[in-house]
Amino acid sequence: MNDLDRAEEVLEQLAGGGGDAEVYLKEGRGRRFSLSPEGELCHFVQEQGWAVRAGDGRCSFFVAASGPPRPRGPWPEPDGYPLRLPDAVEPAPWREPAEVESPLLGEREGVALLAAIAEALARELPGARLRGALLEDGSSVSTLASTQGVRARWRQRLAALRLLARRGDSPVEVSLERAEREARRFHPGALASALADRLAAVDAGAPPPRDRGDMVLAPPVVARLLAHLAPLWLGPEAAERAAALGERTRLAAAAVTLVDDGRLPEGLLSAPVDGEGVPTREVVLIEAGGFRQPLVAWWQRGAWQSSGCAARPSWRDLPLPGPTHLYLRPDPAVRAGALLAAISRGYYLLDTRGPGWCDLRTGRFALPVCGFAIRDGRAQAPLGAAWLVGGVAALLRGIQAVARDLAFSSLGGMIGAPTVVATGLEVRRAPG
Amino acid sequence: MPFSALDSAAVARALAQLVAGPEDLVDAYFERQEVVAVPPDGEPPGVRIWRDDGLAVRLVREDRSFLASRDEVSRGAFEEALRQVARARPRTMAPLPPLGAGAWPAEDDLTPLKQAPRGVVRQLRERRLAFPLRLTVRRHRRWLQVVSPQLVPAAQAERWYSWQADLPWGTSGGLLAELGRAAAEEMATALAASFRARDAAPPAPGRVPLVLAPAAAAVFLHEAVAHALEVDTLALGGTPQAALGVRLGSAGLDVVDDPAAAPADLRRSSDDEGCAVTARWLLRAGVVEQVLADRLWARRSTALAPGAARRSHRHVPPAPRSLYLRLLPGVATLEELLAAAPGGLFLDAAERGRLDPLGGSFSLRFPHAQRIGEAGLGEPLGPCVLRGRVAELLQRVTAVGAETRVAGAGWCAKGGQRLPVWAEAPALLLAEAEVT
Repeated sequence: MNDLDRAEEVLEQLAGGGGDAEVYLKEGRGRRFSLSPEGELCHFVQEQGWAVRAGDGRCSFFVAASGPPRPRGPWPEPDGYPLRLPDAVEPAPWREPAEVESPLLGEREGVALLAAIAEALARELPGARLRGALLEDGSSVSTLASTQGVRARWRQRLAALRLLARRGDSPVEVSLERAEREARRFHPGALASALADRLAAVDAGAPPPRDRGDMVLAPPVVARLLAHLAPLWLGPEAAERAAALGERTRLAAAAVTLVDDGRLPEGLLSAPVDGEGVPTREVVLIEAGGFRQPLVAWWQRGAWQSSGCAARPSWRDLPLPGPTHLYLRPDPAVRAGALLAAISRGYYLLDTRGPGWCDLRTGRFALPVCGFAIRDGRAQAPLGAAWLVGGVAALLRGIQAVARDLAFSSLGGMIGAPTVVATGLEVRRAPG
Repeated sequence: MPFSALDSAAVARALAQLVAGPEDLVDAYFERQEVVAVPPDGEPPGVRIWRDDGLAVRLVREDRSFLASRDEVSRGAFEEALRQVARARPRTMAPLPPLGAGAWPAEDDLTPLKQAPRGVVRQLRERRLAFPLRLTVRRHRRWLQVVSPQLVPAAQAERWYSWQADLPWGTSGGLLAELGRAAAEEMATALAASFRARDAAPPAPGRVPLVLAPAAAAVFLHEAVAHALEVDTLALGGTPQAALGVRLGSAGLDVVDDPAAAPADLRRSSDDEGCAVTARWLLRAGVVEQVLADRLWARRSTALAPGAARRSHRHVPPAPRSLYLRLLPGVATLEELLAAAPGGLFLDAAERGRLDPLGGSFSLRFPHAQRIGEAGLGEPLGPCVLRGRVAELLQRVTAVGAETRVAGAGWCAKGGQRLPVWAEAPALLLAEAEVT
């Protein structure tokens, strides 16, 4: 019996009670390798679970459990809230990424990859060492069936890497996070080089108490800011929020085009449908600085075009509208190096040192960052442990140019950005 | 008890096949968790139930650990996990009996859970308060059985509640040891304080005396004492044993991690590695006497005692964490603490904290504050952050209240593990601490 048959069997049992029902199954396998002061860990994980939503126009329930589905329940008494499920819509033709078939990383491969990164880092920057590492390589199969006729099955593959490094006895450490379709795409040399850049940026520098200038923000910094701002573009109320941030036709600078796309080619979370079985598609939220439409699920659409944007990271989660691949559209004609070379006085911010904060009520944010002071297009001095501080409206209107080096970070959905040049922001020693 | 029929002797014999030397650490972890949630009014779907069981097998040999985890309790899942951590079929594998977690109990009465949000709204109305409120209340239950070749402790069970309120001006939430009128009052009090301070200006940055109410003191102790004395945190900066005997706080601070002293539904006799829990004196008169350690670290030094391991679920390895902190009471009444802090701040709740294990800097965010005037508590103030170094802040504790309260110190999210943490604490007076 395959997964769809199992789901059908559960639906059959539930349909006896009348009303609507949906069955979601998810299975996953993964390998995790970590290095920490405790030593080396090799973890083999297999997860399997299911979830049922069922009810009618008056009442409903949600049950999720590990293991194979149990068609005969027992099901809880529906409670006093109605349930609506989406009608089946045929998704556009979909081709699974080839990597879903490739084997997971073996024990020796995983350990060897982390060791290679540690060795490359020591070579790249004398005195630098890997203080911790977590490498995950996994694959999953999701199956969805509903009384509305939804029948969907899709597979995904994802590898994630988090590295922590220090130099000598320095109390400051830096981190680096990367995600790929499979772990074999991680290159120890490139990762070590990125870590070394970050260590060099925080190690010797002393940030100014407060300074302005042109800011060249590398993709991880912009992605973190976009992740903080993501709630602004969610749901029908987003139009009001956008209006409050500025004129509705010119919410942001002309260089800003913001897109969410659940079936982005090469996207790590790409799938033909979302967590409710609604076909995914590209949605332009901000176009050339003007607000175009919010990110809305099928049940929120109103005057807007909806998209399959209900995230369901695990069988434990209820579907919730959110970004899948939210990104600032790059400019294919612009190299990141060209943006940097054009800066006479400013800062090049390489990465964040933590999540920071963004208060969407007051419109202020502060991000812990690392990077370099720039003079005449060249790195002049490390910046140390600095903060990037500013206002949300100023950030959106201050993006002067975008490069072509689009890169994604895993921040509650994949959030992507190219290198950008922004004005109107401050570098500070403390968040203030 | 879902694991009462588990043949733990057969499991122990199978685990013994993996042991190659006296230093090898091998165990199996069987767990069952359940969460039942009543969603905010009008939000579909209605009642929500998560039921989750499975197992994990672990082998630690020298500095290498192998872990295999499964979302199923069965003989097949256990044998497969056993083979994966051994990375080969054990030499001689005795036949295992069927393994299972037993059926889930029939649905119990969820009426108290369903009535809890209404109780909170009623309490707010009694205070003449009404505002938009999306309140979710959850019941959490957890059962676990650890088996190792030498040790089969009694199965453990826990039950507690959590709540989360989404408000127009932010979120509020916490843990509750039990539901009922007192819990409704506690939630309503927190929501009322949050409402009153919603538009208040934050206090001016500076050094002022602080009085932390028991709920805020619970979070402060968890962040500043427990996290600072977890052996994996200490190892980041050097040798964990070096912390023993160090004066970390003022002489008035006696802090004990004591899972066996927790309220009945949270009480534990063994930790998540199956080791017996003890009353662990973290600070005695401000001096570090013990640290929080698990079996992995205890293998490395006789100065480190296991018994403080926790894991949020089977898919992560155990790590040293506190479960139930107790700050022994002093003699001061709340009025005396407030009288000793004129011009200072009264902090009745704390949110997230952050400890830099390398630099020692510490910050703790409070969602709101209240000015302490000559005549007692004054106007509400907005959010603020306490900053400093852990030892400096703990040595600024100049008085400890006499009346202790059980408080959920909140969800601890260190290392990606989300664990409920608890404390029994009185109010605290900190002299001249930096607030921004």
